[in-house]
Amino acid sequence: MRTLFNFLIRYSVVFLFLILEIISFTLIVNNQGYQRSIFLSTSNSFVAEMYEVSNTVIEFFKLKAANENLSEENTAFKNQIIKLQNELSTLTKNQKKDSIHFRIPPEMEYQFISAKVINNSTNKLQNYITLNKGLVDGIKVDMGVISDEGVVGIIKTVSNRFSVVIPILNPKIQINSKFNHNNYTGTLIWSGDDYRYANLTDIARHVEFSLGDSLVTSGFTNTFPEGIPVGTIEDFNIKESDQYYSIKIRLAVNFRTLSYVKVIDYLNYKEQRTLEKVSEN
Amino acid sequence: MLILLQNIFRFVVLVAIQVLALNNIQFLGYINPYIYILFIFSLPARLPRWLTLILAFILGLSIDIFSNTAGLHAFATVLIAFMREGTIKVFTSIEEGNNPEPSFYTFGVGSYIKYIVALVFVHHFTLFMLEAFSFEHLGMTLLKVLLNSAITILIILGIQSFKRK
Repeated sequence: MRTLFNFLIRYSVVFLFLILEIISFTLIVNNQGYQRSIFLSTSNSFVAEMYEVSNTVIEFFKLKAANENLSEENTAFKNQIIKLQNELSTLTKNQKKDSIHFRIPPEMEYQFISAKVINNSTNKLQNYITLNKGLVDGIKVDMGVISDEGVVGIIKTVSNRFSVVIPILNPKIQINSKFNHNNYTGTLIWSGDDYRYANLTDIARHVEFSLGDSLVTSGFTNTFPEGIPVGTIEDFNIKESDQYYSIKIRLAVNFRTLSYVKVIDYLNYKEQRTLEKVSEN
Repeated sequence: MLILLQNIFRFVVLVAIQVLALNNIQFLGYINPYIYILFIFSLPARLPRWLTLILAFILGLSIDIFSNTAGLHAFATVLIAFMREGTIKVFTSIEEGNNPEPSFYTFGVGSYIKYIVALVFVHHFTLFMLEAFSFEHLGMTLLKVLLNSAITILIILGIQSFKRK
């Protein structure tokens, strides 16, 4: 007993070392999965607030580009409003006001919550983006995130005022996408080295496409509506023995300059999920 | 007392520089130097080892929380904290009873450079291997280790050379 005690004291530092390393390693391994505690991430409110402060400084230097972006978007919206007003005026005449059953019309299924990027990385193997909107703004886990240019990622964790997005630049998510012109779908995965490119898999040998073809979301998952730009084909090749092409995609979004995004709120999400779950069982 | 305050100040400043500035460097897509480990290097040479380990764990975890990498930096930092005493013993000859804060003046230029190079390399190697978590992109991971180690070492030696005696 005494020798055991002496042994323990003598090597106490080694034991402490091993314990700390085991704790760290457990954290790393747990972190490999999709879900993770909010406590140890940037959606933790203290950390997020610090980033917000530092972001206000950096933001200042991006104002010009942001302005241009906004004004472009504004004009696009104005055009759309005029178009919709015209359509509305032709429709209102023959519409009856007796609908008792409230139903979200298909064109209003998706609503957008705009948010600001307050922390963003592109040079890690697993990148994350922190947004300045959270539960109180209506953001929930699994919502899709897009920018004006195209698909950004999916919401992973949410705290009261902040949320963390897994962008395409993280091998943990795969985006189901299709070719704009012939509707063949494939899975988009980031290769891990360059923030401008990702790989498209599952496109079979017989599918026809050419360089520069554009890729959009498929709409099969309920995070993204159909037809949001993902990227364009940059390069592709296929070996004699392979069944599937390996295709290099140039991503539509420039993740380095990302500053404003929109979170997609799919209003029928709950209903669709419940229905799908019922039929799976 | 002065040493305690000095170290707390160093901790806060290094973590802030790391997460607010250095983690945003996106040169070539690979470069991301980690100079926060200078805190561990600069602890008094004869600080009890258990204290060094615990400080390293707290330091690593702080960086982890800010960069969404639970445990990664903690692991690598605790490892170099554990190896620190041995490294000091191998590369330097400080007299018994002395407890200097490692620097060019107390260790000597050659010894100090060896001490920094060895530990930075171990830290970066562990960090990037764990981050990749596979041998799939071994070549690129090793390239990252070398490039980033070189830059981290240069920055740390640069900071230290400005220090007064």
